[in-house]
Amino acid sequence: MNDNIQLDLQAWLDGELPAAKGRRIDTEIAGDEEAGRLIDELRLVKDSLAGNEMGRNVPETREFYWSKIEREIQRRTQTQAQAPRRVIWPRWLAPAAGFGALACLLLLAVFPINQPGFDETSSTGEGLEAVTFHDQAAGMTVVWLTDTAPAQPAGSSDLKTPHTGNPEVEVE
Amino acid sequence: MRFFELLPVAVVCGGLALPAGAADLKLEARLIRGANDGGDIVKYKPADPELSAKLHRMFKWSNYYEITNATAGIALNKNCELKLSDACTIRVKNLGASRVEVNCIGHGKQLCQGAYALTPPQWLVLGGNDTADTAWFVGLRAIDTKPADIKKAISKD
Repeated sequence: MNDNIQLDLQAWLDGELPAAKGRRIDTEIAGDEEAGRLIDELRLVKDSLAGNEMGRNVPETREFYWSKIEREIQRRTQTQAQAPRRVIWPRWLAPAAGFGALACLLLLAVFPINQPGFDETSSTGEGLEAVTFHDQAAGMTVVWLTDTAPAQPAGSSDLKTPHTGNPEVEVE
Repeated sequence: MRFFELLPVAVVCGGLALPAGAADLKLEARLIRGANDGGDIVKYKPADPELSAKLHRMFKWSNYYEITNATAGIALNKNCELKLSDACTIRVKNLGASRVEVNCIGHGKQLCQGAYALTPPQWLVLGGNDTADTAWFVGLRAIDTKPADIKKAISKD
């Protein structure tokens, strides 16, 4: 017996089948021993559930309890029914946006952005070296110039940072 | 007809493409000397306490003196030269959007050149040793020219 026949038998027992199909099932049960056993088993389960359903106590009144369920069903139904709203753009917006983008491109072509990177020391004088410090807490950037002569540069000991290890100061 | 309807939109969009900081920059520059004792520079006034405190965070000198100061307004993409002393000149170019290119010239020679963000009230300080016991600093800061009430409104939002 396949699953479809079992489902038909279950529906027949619950009275959910159309009359014509129900009559056909009547005939099949009469001549099929396995189907008869299944019907007996299903009928037993159905009777057991119907007579022994456990009561449930709820803190609210019966009416209020069911009204909550009803409201929840309505809420979910409305949520599902709300199809995503189609955004209707003004008809002129698309060509205007295209035209604006074109204008932007033309402006960029006429006034190219050719700016160097920032917080960058691009060159120093001969014999000099630049070190950049960012002190975020103080809101200050320092460009410190030191001699690159072989002798120990005086400036190397002038900075507190390497000695204090101030974590707020970033050294590039 | 349709072209003229679209033109304002295009102009607005095009205007957005211009650099945001396409405005004059008002710049403040200070020449500072750092020293451990007064020596011959006690004739100068102590540096601004706020800037001095910032320098104290990073450098060893116990005193900071303001030798001179200057302010300038620099139009977009224009240069400005500030002679802070006989030996020290700063050439600043306003690159727009709170960015500047700075040339530091000492005794007629270029000491360094670089491009930096200069967002109020942040300081950009160029510095180096002067003698064994002193150092020079050039502090640069953009002056925020927005009216105070506008700034308050912005900060509230």
